[in-house]
Amino acid sequence: MKTKLKTSTLVILMVVAIAVTIYTLSPFFLVLINVFKNANGIVANPVGFEGMSFSQLTTNLSKVINNSNFSFWSAFGTSAVITIISLVLLALFGGMASWVISRNMAKHNTKKWAVVIYMTFIASMTIPFQVVMLPLISTFRDVGKFVGLPLLQSIPGIVFAYMGFGGAMTVFVLTGFIKGIPFALEEAASIDGCPHEGIYFRIILPMLKPPLTTVTILNGMWIWNDYLLPSLMLGQNGKVKTLPVAVQAFVGSYVKQWDLILTAALLAMIPMIILFFFAQKQIMGGMVDGAVK
Amino acid sequence: MAKNNAGQKMISGVLAALGVIFLAYALIMDFSGSGSSLRGPALIIGAVLFLIGIFTFPTIKYHKKIVNIVFLFPLLFCFAVTVIIPLCLGFFYSTTDWNGIRMTQFVGLSNYAAMFKEPGFLWSVLLTILFVVFNMVLVNVVAFCLALLCTSRIKGVGFFRAAYFLPNLIGGIVLGYVWQFVFNNVLLSFTSKAFGMNSSLLSNTPTAFMAIIVVYIWQYAGYIMLLYVTGLTQVPGDVLEASAIDGATGWQTLIHIRMPMIASTFTICTFMTLTSAFKQFDVNMALTNGTGSINFMGNYLTNGTQMLALNIYNTAITKNNYAMGQAKAVVFFILLACVSIIQVRVSNKKEVEM
Amino acid sequence: MKKRVFSILLCMAMAAGLTACGGGDTKSESAKSEAAEGGSESGGAASGAIRLVNGKIEVDEQLKKLAKMYEEETGVAVEIESMGGGIDIQGTLKGYYQADNMPDIFVNGGDTDFGNWKGLLVDMSDQAWAADTDAAYVNDEGTLGFPYTTEAIGLAYNKSILDACDIDPATLTTPDAIEKAFETIDSKKDELGVTAVVGYYTEPVNLYWSTGNHVFANYIDAGLDRDDTTYIDMLNDGGQVDDARLTEFAAFIGLLNKYADQELLVSGTYDQQILNFSSGKYAFVTQGSWIGATMTVDDADAYAEAGNFECGMVPYAFTEGADTILTNSPSWWAVYDGDNKAAALEFLQWMSEDKAQQVLVEEAGFVSPFKSCTYVANDPFAQTISDYVAAGKTSGWHWLGMKEGLAQNYTGQVFCDYAQGKMDQTQFVDTLKQVIQSAYAG
Repeated sequence: MKTKLKTSTLVILMVVAIAVTIYTLSPFFLVLINVFKNANGIVANPVGFEGMSFSQLTTNLSKVINNSNFSFWSAFGTSAVITIISLVLLALFGGMASWVISRNMAKHNTKKWAVVIYMTFIASMTIPFQVVMLPLISTFRDVGKFVGLPLLQSIPGIVFAYMGFGGAMTVFVLTGFIKGIPFALEEAASIDGCPHEGIYFRIILPMLKPPLTTVTILNGMWIWNDYLLPSLMLGQNGKVKTLPVAVQAFVGSYVKQWDLILTAALLAMIPMIILFFFAQKQIMGGMVDGAVK
Repeated sequence: MAKNNAGQKMISGVLAALGVIFLAYALIMDFSGSGSSLRGPALIIGAVLFLIGIFTFPTIKYHKKIVNIVFLFPLLFCFAVTVIIPLCLGFFYSTTDWNGIRMTQFVGLSNYAAMFKEPGFLWSVLLTILFVVFNMVLVNVVAFCLALLCTSRIKGVGFFRAAYFLPNLIGGIVLGYVWQFVFNNVLLSFTSKAFGMNSSLLSNTPTAFMAIIVVYIWQYAGYIMLLYVTGLTQVPGDVLEASAIDGATGWQTLIHIRMPMIASTFTICTFMTLTSAFKQFDVNMALTNGTGSINFMGNYLTNGTQMLALNIYNTAITKNNYAMGQAKAVVFFILLACVSIIQVRVSNKKEVEM
Repeated sequence: MKKRVFSILLCMAMAAGLTACGGGDTKSESAKSEAAEGGSESGGAASGAIRLVNGKIEVDEQLKKLAKMYEEETGVAVEIESMGGGIDIQGTLKGYYQADNMPDIFVNGGDTDFGNWKGLLVDMSDQAWAADTDAAYVNDEGTLGFPYTTEAIGLAYNKSILDACDIDPATLTTPDAIEKAFETIDSKKDELGVTAVVGYYTEPVNLYWSTGNHVFANYIDAGLDRDDTTYIDMLNDGGQVDDARLTEFAAFIGLLNKYADQELLVSGTYDQQILNFSSGKYAFVTQGSWIGATMTVDDADAYAEAGNFECGMVPYAFTEGADTILTNSPSWWAVYDGDNKAAALEFLQWMSEDKAQQVLVEEAGFVSPFKSCTYVANDPFAQTISDYVAAGKTSGWHWLGMKEGLAQNYTGQVFCDYAQGKMDQTQFVDTLKQVIQSAYAG
């Protein structure tokens, strides 16, 4: 990889790299310039800078944010609450479960049930969401009705579902990591009188920071951007909406106004882009680790 | 210590017992059909109390086992309720006349038989396979080239990597609408001026299909590129130096040394593009919603760009035919599972040979 | 001891987690979602508040104003929940039903929608307003739907362009007359500054509802008596069509294709369609009376620049005798037979009375379906609708009873292919027949 390239080759490569960058970023750029225009300005001239004004941006923003189909703040809040709670619970329960599974699959001490649980989790990763989504809704509805808990159209219900669907990947990544932690550490602690649960929380958990970052990023990207599961569980335009559902609900209305749609799209993209700006290394690293492991 | 233990035993015993009482109360209410709004919370409080009770129960003999159970329970419970039970129910419902709420009779395999007589569905299968093949090749080629670019010695590599990866951060629904705008408004305003074209790329099935592929590559290639970059940078430097000393050109090094050394990355990447292309839904829905006309098997079809995942969704949700949608989903699952298994087998073999 | 404290703390954390994931604390949950609502309703949903699911997002603001007025007057709170038309409202409502979260009043579009709620709606035939209108939704279960406006499907025209060409819209009631008028305008396009004769758009992803529902509605109803269900009955009987009528209809669509704005015929958007009509670039547009609101609000500047021209409607006269426009309440409000039905009925009665009607007509631009209402909307199409109603030249909206998803998943695309020249008139008829049949078979 340290082969020496001629300057001319480097220049060509640079030009290609810049061209691809322009192509990659152009949709973002188009969104950015068009949110400064009104509907007629966009229709008349979608590419140029004419017709852009800050007052139009504020008009568009206030129209979109106050639109009752989109209700940006509420959707943003719902998305954030769902994502954060799911991530925390997945990290907590995922870590605990992974530790138990991994320690019961150790070479000198393999328990059948642990292997079965592990293999079930791994196999479930090939299950497409489509094959479970319809019965999932009816199960949640029936169970919810039976035990008197609203599982559909509620935040706890959807968090519960994300724990179920995110479990497999979380366990996969975490068990892989825990396997590499020497068992001797735990034995020493055990001899010192540390209770079984304490071993996990005091010794293993602090070491899990890197894989937990990975699963949190992978799960976070997925949950934040997911459309199908929330649209089925919360309804396409129910009271509780996540951002992707809100965008779809907003665009789905009869009147198609690109000024507002692009503003809504911008609002939906901004949180992720800001996050990426600050945690670029972690996000990119996490996405790679999750795939390679 | 012993006294302490007895007190502890008492407390945890009471907790566990309380838990059982709550659970029993909730279950009795459930089965007796009571509409009391207390029964839901009672169930949860009961379960939690019971778990706390047994968790704090001071026993040395069983403590490890109890901890194992308590640690495993939450995740396994969620997993069973959201994945395992619906999966089993799904197989079952696909052989009935289920309407999303209840079923009245078994219909055997007639849903399956009917779906293979439905040209629209067969077209979706064919289209999905085409899409998967195109994407597997194109995304990997594009991503690999970008990875080479991003590991070359040009300046600002970090920036380029981030820029190419950026689209992958945004959800498919939002992207789909942004690109719909690009195709229907921006590109169309150019093409109509330049060639007098009056229809956007999205208005014709073949071009709309190409458009979906373009958007998909745009979204996904950056991510796959990162994986290749990781693979390429892990090729040991001394191997490359040795080949340079032997007088190998950059091209030869690439073909004979670097590519074979990252064979496992190729496997991962093909696998990832394959499964994710198969499951494509969001962009398909937001960009064309499956529209487009096509003449297929002697029929005029109106779902020219509808891929399998969207076909399943439409069958069940839009057309309200849940049992059929579920049967199609089962076929989708089987297809995906077969393809994944074959794919993994083939690449494993290749890796060994190399 | 320390470790015990620790393990108890751990258990509490888990308990909190379980409670959160299982949805135990319903009260704090609903409080949370209400807080997330943005706090538009003070005090949240007190029990006894009436909840109305509205399908016309355009009038959300006006309805909320009415809700406030009603609350000030009677002390009964009304919550308005608006949903846009592209959303699967019925699907959402079904979800509400399953989650035991039904609104007290909700929107229904026609036979198919009302059919979803058999036995669950209140018969309102004894209400005072029911005697004051012809537009209520009535079926064998009684008067189930409260009408709130009148909308019309017809070929909207720009009167100043027709005047400039010496065309009297009143004569445009036969296919020949319309074709001749199209020809005349087409020949004078340049001097009039008109881009195209008719703004007819067929884009299938976002505008399928215009072609597949509203334009196609004329095949089903144009020229028929309001209660004549001949063609919708045929359609719903396994997807049959009347060949002769459909062929004439196809010829008329061919005419629209020929004189449409070629640049936007296939891929244009609703915005562009209304904007261009408002700017006086089209003599006709294939949209109904609902565009009036867009013309006078969003496109007000362009409309003013084009001289705030007078508008009207001519029938889609694709066959001799098809001389009616299609008017209806586009959807109705139905009252759910639940605990809150008495309050809901009182609210609807209030909505049909003077104070509410003034807001609905003058601010929301509705054409009142109530006979006692004397307000006239400041809407470009209000006059033409009243004229047709007075002359008895209106037909119903039986397209509402078409199979769900027919336009979106089937017919919309065929209109677009015809427009693109991928098929000729005969192929258009054959293909329409084929897709309709397969839709009804599926």
